[in-house]
Amino acid sequence: MGQGDGRLTARGAAYLDVTDVAKRFHDTPVLEGLDLEVRAGEFVSLLGPSGCGKTTLLRIIAGLLAADRGRVRLEGVDITRVPAHRRRVGVVFQSYALFPHLSVADNVAFGLRAQGTPAREIAPAVARALALVRLGHLADRAIFALSGGQQQRIAVARALAVRPKLLLLDEPLSALDRKLRETMRMDLRHLLRDLDITAIFVTHDQDEALTMSDRIAVMNAGRIEQFDTPALVYAQPATPFVLDFVGMSTRLRGRVAGADGDLLVIDTAAGRVRAPGHAAAGANVLVAVRPENVRLTLAREGDNAVTLKVRDHVFLGSKLLLHFHASEGDHAVAELPAEAGQGVAPGDAVTVSWAVDATLVYADA
Amino acid sequence: MPEASLATPAAHTALASPRVRVDSMALLVVPGALYLAIAFAAPLALLLIASVVRDGHLALDGYARFLADPFSWTVLANTLRAAGLTTLICVLVGYPTAFALARARGAVQSALLAALILPLSVGVVVKAFAWTILLRTDGVVNRLLVGLGIVETPVRLLFTETGLVLGAANVFLPFMVLPIFAVVKLIDPRLEESAATLGASPRYRFVHVTLPLTMPGVIAGVAFVFSMSISMYVIPTLLMGDRFKTLSILIARSFLFMRDRAMGSTVAVVLLLIAVAVVAASAIVTRRWQAAR
Repeated sequence: MGQGDGRLTARGAAYLDVTDVAKRFHDTPVLEGLDLEVRAGEFVSLLGPSGCGKTTLLRIIAGLLAADRGRVRLEGVDITRVPAHRRRVGVVFQSYALFPHLSVADNVAFGLRAQGTPAREIAPAVARALALVRLGHLADRAIFALSGGQQQRIAVARALAVRPKLLLLDEPLSALDRKLRETMRMDLRHLLRDLDITAIFVTHDQDEALTMSDRIAVMNAGRIEQFDTPALVYAQPATPFVLDFVGMSTRLRGRVAGADGDLLVIDTAAGRVRAPGHAAAGANVLVAVRPENVRLTLAREGDNAVTLKVRDHVFLGSKLLLHFHASEGDHAVAELPAEAGQGVAPGDAVTVSWAVDATLVYADA
Repeated sequence: MPEASLATPAAHTALASPRVRVDSMALLVVPGALYLAIAFAAPLALLLIASVVRDGHLALDGYARFLADPFSWTVLANTLRAAGLTTLICVLVGYPTAFALARARGAVQSALLAALILPLSVGVVVKAFAWTILLRTDGVVNRLLVGLGIVETPVRLLFTETGLVLGAANVFLPFMVLPIFAVVKLIDPRLEESAATLGASPRYRFVHVTLPLTMPGVIAGVAFVFSMSISMYVIPTLLMGDRFKTLSILIARSFLFMRDRAMGSTVAVVLLLIAVAVVAASAIVTRRWQAAR
C-alpha cells in the first residue's frame, strides 16, 4: 500500500476524461452525471457494491453502451460516438469471453487479424503477448483445456496484443479462488505497470482495490463518493459510505455538545469524545476511528478514551481483533498486536483510547 | 466487509455419486428401445427385406430396375432440388429469426416462441390447403404482388415448384429456427463484445465469431429440414398435384395404385438411405466442428 509514485504527483492533462456521464435503464438511474479523470499510465480502480454503476461506467468507456448524456475523451479526442471497434480500448471481462472455437494462439491473434495486421507480424506479436503472461507453452491448446487462472491470463494477453490505448478490467479475478486471486493481483499490477498501460479496474473487493491501484474511485448509487490514493481513501474516508465500505471502523453516533478550541465535543452512548471538525452545537454526527488507531493502553493526555465491554476476540495470526458491545446502530472494534490482547476475555470491561487527530466526524442524517 | 467472492464455475461440474449402479440406470432405456424395435425397426426390416427378396430368394433386380430408369433420376433430382431449395429458404429466413427470438426478452420471447410452435399443432394437410388458397391466381399473394406493382398480371404460383418450396419452407421453418435458437441462446453475448473491443468490425465479428459458433445449430436445422423435405408427401400432392413426381409420391403410387411392392420398397429404401446419409453427415460435421475447438 504505497503512497504512490512520481506519476501521481505530476500534474498533467487527463488521458481519459469522462464528463457528466448519465445512464438510466428503464427509468432507473444507474449513473447520475459522473466525472472521472484518469492520467496516462495510471491504474485506477472503480470500487463499489453490486449495482453501484461501476460496470455500466466501464461499458460506456469501452463503447459497448451508449450514455444518455455526457462525454468521453481519450487523449483529448472525443470518442463518445465512436463505435467500440474503433476506440482501441481493450476489455478483460469477468467471464474472460475467450472464443471457444479458437485455440489459445488464435484467440490472442484475433484482434491483430481483425485489424488487418500483416500475416508475418502476427506470429511474433502473439508470442510476445503470450510471453507477457508466461503462457507461451500453451499456444496450441484449446480454450476449454485451460484452468481458470490460465484463461484469465490469456484474456489479458489477448487484450494487450492489440496494444490498446486503455485497458478496462471488469472484475477479472473474481472467478478465481482466493489463493490464486492474491497471486494474480500482484502479477497483473506488475505487468501493467511495466508496460505503462493505463488501466481501469472494476471490483467490489476492497483488498484488490487497495493493493493494486494508484487511485481508487469509490462508487455508490451511480456516483463517485471519493477519488483518492488507497492510503487517503482508507485514512480519510470522505463519506460514511466510504468509511463503511473500505476497511473496518468503530462508529459511534453522537450529538455535538459544543466546541473546545478547534475541537468539537461530542456526546456518544459510549462517552464524551473530542474530534477535529466544524459543526453546530446540537447537530447529529457520526464519530469514527480505524481499528488500528485504537489502543488498549491507558489514555495519553488529550486522547479520547471510552470504556467498553469486550464481546469477542478474533485471532488473525499477527494481530488480534477485539469486538466490543455497542449500543444499537453503533459499532466498536480494535485491532491490536496479538500479544497486546493477551489476558482480555469476552465480558471484560476495558478502557480503549485513540488520538483526537485520528477521530473522523461526519454529519449524520 | 463487501460481499463474499462469487462461486467458482468449476464447482458446478461435480457429477453425481459414482456409486450409482450402471445396470439399474440401463433399465431406463428398455421402454424406449422396445417401442422403437416394435414400431420402427421391425417394419423397416420388413421393408428392407421386401426390396431385396423375390419369391423366397435374394434379388437385387428392383434396385437395378430403379437405377436403370431415367425417370427415376428425374424423380430423384426433383426430390433433392425441392428439398434443397426448401432448406435454403429455411436457413435464410430461420437464421435471423432465431437471433430475434434469442435476443427478445420475457413476454415478447414467449409470444414469439408460441407463434413459432403453435402452428405445429395445425396439421400439414390444413397448412398445405391454406397455401393453395394463398397461392391461387386470385389469392392474397398475387393480389399483393399486383397491388404493389411488382407484376402486372397475376403469376401462376399454385402447381409450380416455387409455390411448393414456399409452402414447404413455411411448414418446416420451426425445425430450422429452434435448433439455431437453442445454440444462439447459449452463446455468451460478451464474445461479440470482446471481439468488438479487439477492433473487429461488425462484419468480421459475424463471420469469425457468431457464424462459427452457431454452425452446430445450423447443421442440425439443415439435417432436420432436409430429411423432412425429401420425404414430404402431402405438401407436394396438394400444392403441385400429380405432375410433379418426388420419391415419396413414387412410393405411394407403387404401393397404392400399381400394387408393386418391390418397386415401392426399393424406392423407400433409397429415400431412407439419403435421409440417413444426411443425418449421419450432419453428425460427423458437427463432431468435427466441435473437435476443432
